[in-house]
Amino acid sequence: MPYLPHTDADRAEMLREIGVSSFEDLLESIPTDLRMTGELDIPGPFSEEEIGRHLGKLAAGNRGANCLLSFAGGGIYDHHVPAVVRTITSMPQFYTAYTPYQAEVSQGTLQSIYEFQTMIARLTGLDVANASLYDGASATAEAALMGLDVTRGARVLVPATVSPHVKRVLRTYLASSAADLREVPTRDGRIDVAALSGEISENDVVIVQHPNALGLLESVNDVGELAERAGALLVASVDPLSLAVLRPPADYGAAIAVGEGQCLGSAPSYGGPLLGFLAAERRHIRRMPGRIIGATVDHDGRRGYVMTLQTREQHIRRARATSNICTNQGLVALAAAVYMSLLGRNGFRETAVHVMSKAHYAADAITQHTGLSLAFPGPFFREFVVEMPRPASVIRSELSRDGICPGVDCGTYDPALERCLLVSVTERHTREDVDTLASALGAAAAEGGSA
Amino acid sequence: MSEERKRQATSVVEPTIFELGVPGHPGHALPALDVPRLEPEDVLPDGFVRPAPPALPEVSEPEVVRHFTRLAELNHHVDRAIYPLGSCTMKYNPKINEEMASLPGFTGLHPGFDDADCQGAIALMVELARHLSEISGLAAVSLQPPAGASGELAGMLMAKAWHTDQGNPRSKVVVPDSAHGTNPASLTLAGYEAVETSSGDDGRIDVDAFRKVVDDETAAVMITNPSTLGIFETRIADIIEIAHERGALVYLDGANLNACMGLVRPGDVGFDIMHFNLHKTFSAPHGGGGPGSGPVGVRSGLEPYLPSPLPSYDPGRPEGRRYFMDRDRPRSIGAVHGYHGNFLVMVKAYAYILANGGVGLRKVSEDAVLNANYLKAKLEGLYDASHEGHCQHEFVLSAERQKEQGARALDIAKRLLDHGIHAPTVYFPLIVPEALMIEPTESESRRSLDAFVEAMISIAGEIEEDPEALAGAPERTPVGRLDESRAARELDVVWEDE
Repeated sequence: MPYLPHTDADRAEMLREIGVSSFEDLLESIPTDLRMTGELDIPGPFSEEEIGRHLGKLAAGNRGANCLLSFAGGGIYDHHVPAVVRTITSMPQFYTAYTPYQAEVSQGTLQSIYEFQTMIARLTGLDVANASLYDGASATAEAALMGLDVTRGARVLVPATVSPHVKRVLRTYLASSAADLREVPTRDGRIDVAALSGEISENDVVIVQHPNALGLLESVNDVGELAERAGALLVASVDPLSLAVLRPPADYGAAIAVGEGQCLGSAPSYGGPLLGFLAAERRHIRRMPGRIIGATVDHDGRRGYVMTLQTREQHIRRARATSNICTNQGLVALAAAVYMSLLGRNGFRETAVHVMSKAHYAADAITQHTGLSLAFPGPFFREFVVEMPRPASVIRSELSRDGICPGVDCGTYDPALERCLLVSVTERHTREDVDTLASALGAAAAEGGSA
Repeated sequence: MSEERKRQATSVVEPTIFELGVPGHPGHALPALDVPRLEPEDVLPDGFVRPAPPALPEVSEPEVVRHFTRLAELNHHVDRAIYPLGSCTMKYNPKINEEMASLPGFTGLHPGFDDADCQGAIALMVELARHLSEISGLAAVSLQPPAGASGELAGMLMAKAWHTDQGNPRSKVVVPDSAHGTNPASLTLAGYEAVETSSGDDGRIDVDAFRKVVDDETAAVMITNPSTLGIFETRIADIIEIAHERGALVYLDGANLNACMGLVRPGDVGFDIMHFNLHKTFSAPHGGGGPGSGPVGVRSGLEPYLPSPLPSYDPGRPEGRRYFMDRDRPRSIGAVHGYHGNFLVMVKAYAYILANGGVGLRKVSEDAVLNANYLKAKLEGLYDASHEGHCQHEFVLSAERQKEQGARALDIAKRLLDHGIHAPTVYFPLIVPEALMIEPTESESRRSLDAFVEAMISIAGEIEEDPEALAGAPERTPVGRLDESRAARELDVVWEDE
């Protein structure tokens, strides 16, 4: 058992020093009839070699990761992760550290998360950010609860264009609250602003996802204005990369911004670990969920960092805490901080421009050479929906044989969209990759036409 | 203040990344753009374009590496020395786990792929869930909750869904006064009212008091066993029976499972629902705050309520599609995570379970119990133990004696840092005054345990001689004692450029 340092002689001597004759004596408080008889039916112990072989086989059993030319996005994106990100997050000083309960020996974690908070605040244009939440979906749910706490309202308005992954979690979190989760109608894949105008009222929490689940830009300026006029609180769920080129949520009146930070230096990893972020106006900081890192000084006046405003948190406030979140995504937040530091102001914008240019090239290549068209007319940033003549699930199965995953099947979002494919591009795709996709979709469409 | 300290005052150990850069510094290169370049104004409508990109730092790659490496050097971490945080279980993190979790076959997998293309990943999840079932004695496990507190929320929502199906959702959940703060926070989030039940003189739940607070409105009871005092609830069978008689479900906060593997199974004892902390019990590293993973297990009858989708296996399906994510679960509480939870953390836990096997996991728990009792035996002459008798994997000391001499638990914690040792958890559980909660874990050698004992003896001696000296602790750490109240009073949570 290589992870256990004791020899049997050590154990015997330790028992002697404790003053018992056998290990069983230490279990005296466990009634004997409750103790397990027999052994756990779990194979092993296995050596590293054997574990490597077994898990290697399981990893290789994932055709998706190894063989597919993939255009799947919809919230999780396969961007290049610079080697430096892995170098830093693989340092045991970071990954084998615990939550920074003793600040004096945790300055590395604390300062890097303070820097992460600053970068998220700068991206969103808001004043303050927390030290991460589990993922974009639970961050949105936490933001809805926080918004209700701020407004003392009882309604959350959610457009149908918010990602279904997010909505599922939102529904779970709100199921037990008194709040009413109300769907906002959409038109052509975007919020129907006129309908929202009729629906919105004072103290509502309004959620807008921008770009939305179908890749389209929402009319955020109009939505923000409506919210302000009505006295509602706006929560914006945003793609952080898009904030390199899109106006930040603070500009259109969002009091809270949330999102999924996986695209900032993490691999898709079958959807986890992810990185939820949450930023807000300063006046709402005491209602924010989760950990916040703050700067202070030590007793010699030197700058240092601590977890702050802990009186909001569950370990002190218990039943009256702002949220139950405790363990968060510290290491993934570190990855995001390293990623954003490396790319920097210009590299971040260039990446966004690169991705946007390729996405638009892809949309053109697909529509101009195949007879296919985009399902919705609105402007988009990095992904778009192609309408196929047959169900997207069928197209996906067919293209999978040729080693292509053409995108996310929107039928899993909404049965009415079963012929829609959400195609997403990153800087890892070459022009040739995109052309390959375009001709594969074209062929699939033609086949459908003749069938 | 030492002379050296005075010289350094108002200085910084490491500047922020925002102070290091120079405009124009490249830190990263993109592939050449092989399609026509479009500017935001070309494709985005007026009123949508950001006038200037966000003010991220501009730092070259070597400078980024040095900055974060210097920050890394300021951290205590378990690869360096003992991290005896009670209730937090900070054990050694085997390196093979990291290697397994970085296999491209796992990291490259998109959650939107067809199940047919993810057979290996789903198979791993099915097997991990099966092992957790075996360890817990519970019928079924969902791996979706991304952290322990998320598992607690899922557990409470399942209790609510079950009671609702019985015709009465009920309104209250009972928690002992020694419980983790997440318990009352989670049950509140699930829409329940928290009812506290007190501990008796022996540190265990007072069964008579408990009997009085459980009633027909009690939906569930949340119990940590072994408790946060590190002791087994000897009368757990009675407690569960009382709860069940009133129709309440019994939830186990599985944070302390490290003490139980192969020794006692929650399902056998009668628990209905529990969560696991993969980052505690199964050695996935904590990453300075996470990611964790908090699967939930349930006894039979409660499986329909588990978070959805659920990794599943059906041999009746065609080859290459036998493992699937079961999304057709109408009675599920829904999703608590956007996708399948923290998959890479599951990979680490799975590798750890296989490395130990059933036999080894029992040994893990035995050594965890042995190490805690060894430390307790060595220290209880100098500090007051919270209760008599043997402990399980952790124990609580009280520094009341030292407080009378002029030094608090916090001072002791800070002085330990000067010994190169991480401090135990302090001031928790709340029911022990001046609490020092110690969990060495099974991965500490005798030598490391003895070093901890030596430090604690030395500190007790120092307090007897000059308790004032501890007010200056820590003195040998990168920064001195930090002013937490100032941090809360003068909020500085984002860097402002000059």
